[in-house]
Amino acid sequence: MWSLTELETEAILLSLRVAATAVIASLPLGILVAWLLARCRFPGKELLNGLVHLPLILPPVVVGYLLLVTLGRNGTVGAWLFDAFGITLAFTWKGAAVASAVMAFPLMVRAIRLSLESIDPRLEQAAWTLGASPRWVFATVTLPLALPGILTGVILAFARSLGEFGATITFVSNIPSETRTLPLALFSLVNTPGGEQGALRLVMISIVIAMLALAASELLARRISARLRG
Amino acid sequence: MIVLAVAALISVGIRPVSAQVLVFAASSASGALEDLAESYSADGLGDIRVAFASSSALARQIAAGAPADIFISANPQWMNYLAARNALVPETRLDLMGNRLVVVTPRAAPMDVELRTDFPLVDEMNGKPLAMGDPDHVPAGMYAKAALQTVGLWEALENHIAPMHHVRAALVLVERGEAAAGIVYATDAATSSRVSVAATFSADSHPPILYPAAIVAGRSRPEVERFFDYLTSAEAMTIFTRHGFGSVRRMDR
Amino acid sequence: MTGNAAIEADIVARFGPFRLNANFAAGAGLTAIFGPSGCGKTSLINVLAGLHKPESGRVAIDGKVLFDSARNINLPPHRRRLGYVFQDGRLFPHLTVHSNLTYGTRWVAKSDRHQDFDHVVELLNLGPLLTRRPRKLSGGEKQRVAIGRALLASPRLLLMDEPLASLDVVQKAEILPFIERLRDELRLPIAFVSHSVEEVVRLGDTLVILSEGNTVECGPIEEVMSRIDLPQVADLYEAGAAVRVMVEGHDDTFGLTRLAFTGGTLLVPRLERATGARLRVRIRARDVALSLARPTGTSVLNVLDGRIVEIGKVSGSLMDILVDVGCPIIARITRKSFHELELHCGQKVFAMIKAVAVDRSSGDSANVTKIIS
Repeated sequence: MWSLTELETEAILLSLRVAATAVIASLPLGILVAWLLARCRFPGKELLNGLVHLPLILPPVVVGYLLLVTLGRNGTVGAWLFDAFGITLAFTWKGAAVASAVMAFPLMVRAIRLSLESIDPRLEQAAWTLGASPRWVFATVTLPLALPGILTGVILAFARSLGEFGATITFVSNIPSETRTLPLALFSLVNTPGGEQGALRLVMISIVIAMLALAASELLARRISARLRG
Repeated sequence: MIVLAVAALISVGIRPVSAQVLVFAASSASGALEDLAESYSADGLGDIRVAFASSSALARQIAAGAPADIFISANPQWMNYLAARNALVPETRLDLMGNRLVVVTPRAAPMDVELRTDFPLVDEMNGKPLAMGDPDHVPAGMYAKAALQTVGLWEALENHIAPMHHVRAALVLVERGEAAAGIVYATDAATSSRVSVAATFSADSHPPILYPAAIVAGRSRPEVERFFDYLTSAEAMTIFTRHGFGSVRRMDR
Repeated sequence: MTGNAAIEADIVARFGPFRLNANFAAGAGLTAIFGPSGCGKTSLINVLAGLHKPESGRVAIDGKVLFDSARNINLPPHRRRLGYVFQDGRLFPHLTVHSNLTYGTRWVAKSDRHQDFDHVVELLNLGPLLTRRPRKLSGGEKQRVAIGRALLASPRLLLMDEPLASLDVVQKAEILPFIERLRDELRLPIAFVSHSVEEVVRLGDTLVILSEGNTVECGPIEEVMSRIDLPQVADLYEAGAAVRVMVEGHDDTFGLTRLAFTGGTLLVPRLERATGARLRVRIRARDVALSLARPTGTSVLNVLDGRIVEIGKVSGSLMDILVDVGCPIIARITRKSFHELELHCGQKVFAMIKAVAVDRSSGDSANVTKIIS
């Protein structure tokens, strides 16, 4: 009863891999976009803000369809990716990671942006006058102080990625051991007569993973905050 | 969207009974059912509302108390599921229409497909997958798997399929050229101008694709029975055929 | 002044509706930038630091041009090699005191580093604080760390924007001696912004006065402080001459110290300074009375003979008279007395100095005005 079936192990490992990849790959862009929105003024800033939040508002299936249109093998960008680098994203776990990253992006950016906005720009000014170039100011003062927000963004994005379904299934379908993450496996079981038992098990597993992630993030957040407050 | 509203009603436990007739029908029948409902109300015969979703979702909702009057499933399995739960009026169950399974390819990138065991379909697909409904639970997918097994292509193709949660989603993949080919209902292929039929599975290569229909238990009313009879009329059959469905000998339980 | 002035600034800058027009050259030592709130002091420092770009003009430190609108030169702050001590400290909360101190050092080429870590720590008494976090420091400690941090960036010029403004009297008294040591031991030019006459006279060598965005005056402190024609100087409650003195000796019988200056000798209550020590004292105008004849039978110890050189503007019932007793000092008298004594320029008078403000140096706890009568 307590051991995992092969389907479950496969779904869990795939989910973790997809979510981790999604978060790590989108983090640099997330920090950049959050910084642009927090600190810069430029024409089209509100447009960028709207674009970033689109995955929060659009139905996930629509986002999945848009990914198909742009990143599929025949897509506007996907065709070039394949011709130039031989990269295929549709129907692969990497595509699932892209779908998760896109859906989780607004949550990550919001959290990081909030954190950046709470940093006193006068501290950055001070670092500047002490000889640090703007890039070094960012690396040695801004980033460390924004760490709690970045961590929150990462955890939120990770959790969202673990639960991502609509965009994933539309973009990369439900291929066992390649794209069948926990939510997709759950979906299959729910739709199979007699699959309720298996579905319930997956639900419990999902809850346990979510709780563990939350606990880990709480611990980390507290340690970092303590260090920053001195 | 209608399904969501209905699901909300279920959770409150309301079972509204009205002069309107609510039909739950499998998505693959959406085109035909919409035309039927329109023609029925145009003739002044009554007000019909139809909700479309996958047969599995609809069956579960009816079992949970959704206020549907008539259920049309894409395969017998989910009708059996409801029958076992005494959720149908058993005497009303019949097979409404049939369908055929076809292999489609993008019109922009057609492909030769022969349905025999040593046909190098995987090579022809050139890295792109074969799109179909999820063979684990989508009726179209289950038929497709059975058909491929019969013609001896399942083993070769098993690791090159893209299982979609919806047979229409599989069609979209083929339309966009993301999938090299797809297995969908003949009715689905007919709705799209961007795919062409490369091959048709013979009817005996898979369990017969039947669309059973029945009146939901406790929902029998004059207006419901009237529309149910209309569904089996010659006029209705014309509309079904126009959408690509096949007729079926009536099966009495 | 040797060769290039330490600070040369001739700029016009805009801050919203406010226009700053600063034009001055100051030599080595501590240049005090003085003026009331809103006159543009912080704006000027920000221009020097490169945090704000002027519309036009030129800024050079020790001959090195930092900004020149004519030649399209505008060095960004991180390339100016200036150390900026902010009014609010601005220590990095995520770093220890030690890391805060060394933050600026890594951006300086080894060959350009002229401050030694241990020396600065000793100079500012930061040893016990090194492992602490800024959050756990008192106001005075924070400012000392801020000063140390700016120093260890090996700057060409130290900028201090009212660094004592957010400190209480005790903390101020604690820090002032450190700044004096900076001025005296490090031989680093310092630009020190303040609205406090006490700080300015105690610390400054050169005084730049700003008023409503314009440079009103720039020159050695003793000269500028005796400009009774400048309202920015004359209207101060604390107005008075700044005089350089030297400790001549001590009188143990009565517990007094003799201070020698160009006008003679001043007697003040005993100072704990060695003979030969050089100081600057303030003789506040309101502590100076005038007499036509040498007074007799008075308790005032310090009576100097001199000549009236300038008569100041009248404001209300008081007016300032500039008297040359060997060096200029200011007397603030009533208009009535001026009228009754029929005072005029060139007249010989006797200045009776009731109190001499000696700003005590490090080791003592507070600035004390000795009232001698």
